[in-house]
Amino acid sequence: MTGVSLKDIKKSYGGLEVVHGVDIEIDKGEFVVFVGPSGCGKSTLLRMIAGLEEITGGDLKIHGQRVNDVDPSNRGVAMVFQTYALYPHMTVDQNMGFGLRMNGTPKAEVAKRVSEAAKILQIEELLDRKPKQLSGGQRQRVAIGRAIVRHPQVFLFDEPLSNLDAELRVATRLELAKLHQKLAGSTMIYVTHDQVEAMTLADKIVVLRKGRVEQIGEPMELYENPANLFVAGFIGSPKMNFLDLEGGEGLTFRFKDASTVALSGDAAAQTAVLGLRADQMTLSEPDEGHFAGTVSVVERLGDSEFVYVTTEWGQELVVRVPGGTNTQMGVLTGVVLSGRTHFFDGEGRSFPVFRSLWTKADINRG
Amino acid sequence: MPHDASVSIRPPVLSPRMRRVLISVVLAAVCAVWIYPLLWMVSASLKDNAAIFANEGLIPERPSFENYVRAWKEANIGSYFFNTVFVTVGSVILVTIASSMMGYVLGRRRFVGRGLIFALIAFTIFVPQGYTIIPVFDLLTRMGLGQSLWGVMLATCGGSFVIFVLLFAGYFSQIPNELEEAAKMDGVSFIKTFWFVMLPLARPIVVTVVVMQTLYAWNDFLLPLVVTLANPSIRTLSVGVYAFRGENFIDWGGMTAASTISILPVVILFLFLQRYFIDGLAGAVKG
Repeated sequence: MTGVSLKDIKKSYGGLEVVHGVDIEIDKGEFVVFVGPSGCGKSTLLRMIAGLEEITGGDLKIHGQRVNDVDPSNRGVAMVFQTYALYPHMTVDQNMGFGLRMNGTPKAEVAKRVSEAAKILQIEELLDRKPKQLSGGQRQRVAIGRAIVRHPQVFLFDEPLSNLDAELRVATRLELAKLHQKLAGSTMIYVTHDQVEAMTLADKIVVLRKGRVEQIGEPMELYENPANLFVAGFIGSPKMNFLDLEGGEGLTFRFKDASTVALSGDAAAQTAVLGLRADQMTLSEPDEGHFAGTVSVVERLGDSEFVYVTTEWGQELVVRVPGGTNTQMGVLTGVVLSGRTHFFDGEGRSFPVFRSLWTKADINRG
Repeated sequence: MPHDASVSIRPPVLSPRMRRVLISVVLAAVCAVWIYPLLWMVSASLKDNAAIFANEGLIPERPSFENYVRAWKEANIGSYFFNTVFVTVGSVILVTIASSMMGYVLGRRRFVGRGLIFALIAFTIFVPQGYTIIPVFDLLTRMGLGQSLWGVMLATCGGSFVIFVLLFAGYFSQIPNELEEAAKMDGVSFIKTFWFVMLPLARPIVVTVVVMQTLYAWNDFLLPLVVTLANPSIRTLSVGVYAFRGENFIDWGGMTAASTISILPVVILFLFLQRYFIDGLAGAVKG
C-alpha cells in the first residue's frame, strides 16, 4: 500500500525553480532516505511533505488522499528537526505533550501517550528536566518523543543526527533503526547528506541532485548498480575512482598516460569512464599493473588500509588493501584493475555491462 | 616572526591592582555628583523649611518626620498615590501586551510595507513629547475621557511604546524558525504559539518593558499635569508634588517629603528586578 506519493512535485521561489518535478512512491511502513549534497532540494522536499513549504506544482498524496493544501497538523505527519526545536522553557513532559494539550486532548490521554513515548525512548527519568539540562542525544530523543505522542502515520526526520558528535551519531543511528522496528507500520522519511546514514538506515534511498531525482533504489542496488557517475560517486565510502578513457583504435582505449586497455561487449565502444571502488583494484609491482603511480598517503584503519596513489597523469586514486600490509609512502607501485568495474558513457550514464575480472591479456603497457 | 625570536617583556607602569583602585576612585567621585540631588532631596525632607537653606549640610541637625505627616494628610498624597498606582498598573499591562504582539508580528512576519511601518515607528521616537500633548489631550476630550483617570492611564501608554515594540521585534526576530514550525506541526494556532511559546521566551524583554514603563508612568509629569489641570482629584503623585508650590510660598519640606514618598516604590521595584532588567537590555543590544 502506498504511504506517501509524490507526483511531478515542483517548487519555485519567485521565478527560480529549485525542485523540478519529482516522482517518488513510498510504501507504508517503509524507511526512505533522501540523500544528496547541500542545495539538492532534499530538505525542501521534506518540508513540502510536512506542509511547512507550499507546493508549487504536482500532487502530494498521503495514504491516497491529496494533501497539497491541508494544514501540517492534519496530514498525519510529525517532524523531528535538525536543531530539535524543543521549547526551552518547558520540561520534557510539557514539551512532548504541548501539541496535544493545545488541541484539547484530555489530560489523562496526554499523560498516557507521553509516558508511552518516554518508555519507548527510555527517557522516563528525564521527564521533569528542561531541555538545557539534557545532552544532545537526550534532546534528540525528546524531539522524537514529541513526534511519537502524536501517533503519526508518517515520521519526517530532517538531518536529525548532524548536531551530534561522531560517537553519539553512530549510537543514535542504531537507535533509530530499532525505533523503526518498534513502531512497525509507520512510514519514515529521513533527510541526510551523509551517505553512510542513508546506506545503514534505509529500506529505499532516493538520491537527489539539483532538484532532480538521480536514482531510487535499495541501498545495495545503488551501490552495485549506480545509474550514473553522480550516484556512483556519492554512494559508498571511500568514493569510487573514475578513470577517464581516451579513444583508441577499435575497442582498445588509452588511459591518460600511454597505458592501454582493451574492452569487449556490445556497448564497449561508447565507454568513456571506468569506475572502480577502492576494493576493486589491487597494488602490484610497478611494471606489472595496468598503469603505475606513486603512493602519496596511507590511511591505516586497522582492519584495512586506504592507499592513495597518484598516477603518472596526476590523478589521485584510493586503493583498499588488507590491514597490516604496511605500504610505504613515496614508493612507486603498479595498479591492477580487478574485480567488478563500472562503465559510463560520455554523458555519465552507466552501462549494465561490467567486467568482473580483468585478465593479464587486457593489459598492454605502452 | 621566527619561533626562536626573543620577546622583551615590559613591566606596566601601574600594577593591575593599582589600576583598579584608581578607576574605582574616579568612578566613585562621578557617582557622588550624580546622586547628590537625590541625597539633598531626602535630607531636605527631614528638615523644617527654615533649616533647608541654612546651609547645615546633608545630615539634618534635628531630623523630623513632620513633613511626611503633612504631605500625606494635608496634600492628599494618599489619594494621589492610588491614582498613580492605577495609571501605572493599567498602562504597564496594556503596553506590555500590545507592544509584544506588535513586536512579534513586525519581528517575525515578512509582509508588504513592513519596512515602511518600521521607518514610521522609528521616526516617532524623534518627535518631542511636548509637541504631542495638545493633540493627545484633544483626542482624549473627543473620546470623552478628558476628565477621567482612564484617560490619564491611556495617554500614559504612549510614552516609550515604540521603543518597546522595537525591543520586542529585535528579540523575536532572533528566535529560531524551527520553534514556530514545530508548533505549527503540532497544530498549535498562531495566537497560542505566541502566548505559550514565544512570550515566555521573551521574558527578559517583558521584564525590561515592565520596569521601564513603570518608571515612566510613575514619574511622568508633563502629560498628567496637562490632562489633570481641570480636575485635581485625578492627579498623580508627580503632579501632586507640584501643588506644594503656592503662589507666595513654596513648602520645600512638604514637597521633598512627598517626592521621597513617590520615588520609594520605584526604587524598591528596581532593586528587586534590576538583574532581569539589565539582562533584558544587554540581550537586546547583543541581539
